Amino acid sequence: MTAFAITRELSWQRRFVLSVAGIAAFFGVWWAAAASGLVAPQFLPTPLAVLEKFVALTQTTFVGYTLQQHLASSFGRFALGFGLAAAIGVPLGLLMGWFRGLDAIVSPLFDALRFVAPIAWVPFAALWFGTGIGGPVLVIFSGSFPPCVINAYRGARYVEPRFVEAAQTLGASHWRIITEVLLPASVPSIVAGLRVSAGLGWQSLVGAELIVASSGIGYLLVRGQANISTAIVMSGMIAIGIVGFAIDALLRRMERYISRRRGL
Amino acid sequence: MRRAIAAIASAVTLGLAAAGVAAQSQQLTEIKISYQPALYWALPFYVAEEKGWYAELGLKPAFSTFPAGVPQIAASASKSWDVGGAGSVPATLGAVRYSLLTIGITNDESYGNALLATAKTADGFVKNPASIKGQTIVLTANSTGDYAVQSCLTKWGIRKSDVTIKSMGQAEIISAMSSGNADLGGLWAPNTYTMEEKTGAKQICSGQDAGAAVPGALMARAEYAKEQPQNVAKFLAVYLRAWKWLNAHQPEAIAMMKKFYEQGGVTISEASMKKEFTTRPTYDLAQQLKIMNRPAGGASEVDGWFTKIGAFMQANGTFPESPAAYKFITDEYMKMVDADPKLKAFANRAD
Amino acid sequence: MTRSHERRPVWGGVVTFVVLAVAWYMLTTLTNTIGSGRFSSPAETWDALRQIAFAGYADARLAEHILHSVKLVLLGFAAAAIVGVPLGLAMGASRGFEAFLNPTFLLIRPIPPLAWIPLAIVWLGLGDAAKVLIIWFAAFVPAVINSYSGVRSIEPYLIEAARMLGVPRAMLMREVLIPGALPMIFTGLRLSLQACWTTLVAGELIGAIAGLGHVLYQASLDIFPAMIVVGMGSVAVTAAVMTVGLSWIERRAIPWRQA
Repeated sequence: MTAFAITRELSWQRRFVLSVAGIAAFFGVWWAAAASGLVAPQFLPTPLAVLEKFVALTQTTFVGYTLQQHLASSFGRFALGFGLAAAIGVPLGLLMGWFRGLDAIVSPLFDALRFVAPIAWVPFAALWFGTGIGGPVLVIFSGSFPPCVINAYRGARYVEPRFVEAAQTLGASHWRIITEVLLPASVPSIVAGLRVSAGLGWQSLVGAELIVASSGIGYLLVRGQANISTAIVMSGMIAIGIVGFAIDALLRRMERYISRRRGL
Repeated sequence: MRRAIAAIASAVTLGLAAAGVAAQSQQLTEIKISYQPALYWALPFYVAEEKGWYAELGLKPAFSTFPAGVPQIAASASKSWDVGGAGSVPATLGAVRYSLLTIGITNDESYGNALLATAKTADGFVKNPASIKGQTIVLTANSTGDYAVQSCLTKWGIRKSDVTIKSMGQAEIISAMSSGNADLGGLWAPNTYTMEEKTGAKQICSGQDAGAAVPGALMARAEYAKEQPQNVAKFLAVYLRAWKWLNAHQPEAIAMMKKFYEQGGVTISEASMKKEFTTRPTYDLAQQLKIMNRPAGGASEVDGWFTKIGAFMQANGTFPESPAAYKFITDEYMKMVDADPKLKAFANRAD
Repeated sequence: MTRSHERRPVWGGVVTFVVLAVAWYMLTTLTNTIGSGRFSSPAETWDALRQIAFAGYADARLAEHILHSVKLVLLGFAAAAIVGVPLGLAMGASRGFEAFLNPTFLLIRPIPPLAWIPLAIVWLGLGDAAKVLIIWFAAFVPAVINSYSGVRSIEPYLIEAARMLGVPRAMLMREVLIPGALPMIFTGLRLSLQACWTTLVAGELIGAIAGLGHVLYQASLDIFPAMIVVGMGSVAVTAAVMTVGLSWIERRAIPWRQA
């Protein structure tokens, strides 16, 4: 897929200036909206007020923990849910890509469940897992699982046929074909899938933490809401955004590293 | 030299054995207790744990907290907890769905569940309750707040179809009312105090005003209660003692309440905290037995309360048939506490 | 690059559902391995379906709930498409524009739609606007990204040729860029539609009086697993129907992109 710009590539200086201008414009609009009195100040705090609150949350505890500790709690749940989704989803996708029969059986199920929001699983999570970490993990898993499977599947399905044929003529078993031909060839697709999966999983976190009531960034958000503290709510949102962005940036870097290594 | 080593070795062995025996005798039985954070009736759980009263009776509690009654009830299905406290409405739902027993009353929270109106509109509604017709009321469905609000509507002769009821969590209700996007809301304490203090909202009718008794319930899983009746009785004894202490030591009680509420993200004034104590009666052992007592096959006072609540939930469409009170409300475990002199004395201690 | 939907043997889908249905029946009704409190049996689910379709549940009947939800989804989808596609196209066509907007986009993107609920309530109240805002946040992201990729993936020689011929900017957009990006735009719209449906449940947490998300919320408050299953199923079916509708539109709009 060629990437060609309508306008020419910008010099990094111009790019930098424009990016900074963009951010400045964003904060400018925010500050203007807050200061203009369009919305009552307690419902649209200025960027500075939110920053102050954010910093305060990292130093003093709110509902039992500091902001970092809440984030750590949430990240733990996310890691478990995402890890499980990847560990089960990627192999499943590869198998589905190879065994047409399996694909025919599992795909319809997938199509049916695709539209069910992770948050809809919350009642069942409470019913089946109660207080354990299983509850939030189920919700995060339901968000993270589909992209892992779909991308592994696509990677395996659309591998260059001649590689597969070559392996088959050499008498490779199913297992070897999957692990030594399909898997390496699907890596770019799998990693792209992991990126989407991580994003969806992290987003499902807030929904997952609706059934948890002792720690986590989603919990902090709801308690801030109940306290009529919009600054706390926005701090929570920013924290979620920053971590989500960091996770995505990390995976993107991995994606680029892998494609560079493969000479793409 | 060899004798010295032998002496030391035997001393060490004896010491270890003694420690082992001591540890054995101190072995505590685990019991899983559930509740919701930053609520008045959950305070005794916190206090009892801080004071080490569970250990005194040989119990080691594992606490789990839930954001609301419904997920708490749902979690009992997977045996996540054995005993706990909740509002009477979720407790009734639990009785119908998962055979949860109600074994005691946490408090009378009729005053603490109320219909609030925003500062601007409160006076108007108080002067003319009929003007509530056609309004939107935001409340949390299937909760004690829901029950209190609908009881108030009944008191004013307003039918459910005369108003628009929107259901959402307490946090959403607070957001909606504080930003002027909803004028009427059903809340329970301490959210009522948060609204009053931070936005000037006013409580225009509580369950008490509407003549509806809104109790809080102590619950136990039926299976667990059958397997471990002694632990259930001990759990009750600790809870009762905690209330005795709280009622006898107001200043320290307020201090502990402040810490407990903060843990749950609630900060209200001391005056409001004191109000919780004055407006929400609690029951000691003798009083619990009295209100749960069934005279000669008739109904107890508690039965009457829960029957009304069951009828309310049935009318709401939560279940097709409301549960018979005698089927899930039992004073068996309170009676066990009363019958055991050690437990009885323990439950009545105020220190 | 998307490929056309390959034909899978129909028997696959049928086998799966038959096997699942049998397993469901066996696990719940026959052997009671899964107690009725944890998940509903086929019979209970059927009863719940009948209840909501004819008698009503959560203040309305199934048809009304579906109508309400479809309305919200269409509003959110339209808002996402109207804002997202032009934005993506502009960011794809102009590096300068991209450099300016990208940081803001990257900041807003990772915030989950559910996290916007507190702000949506205090800014927009409890009406449809707040719900649509939540849905919009989820749906506009795929629209932007895919429209952007669509422009970027146009063969360079097409644009060079148009430039050489001295084609004015507006015409370039209309005749070259948009048609060229259309396949990916539609991929993005499909993802947007999916996001609309998955976020609907979150959106309808804000003071809904009808809708499939409202049904799911009420059913969770009643701890009514059978009705939750009915709600999930209704969402899946309605969403699938709308997706088929979108595909039909796509085929009309891009007749040159065939199997």
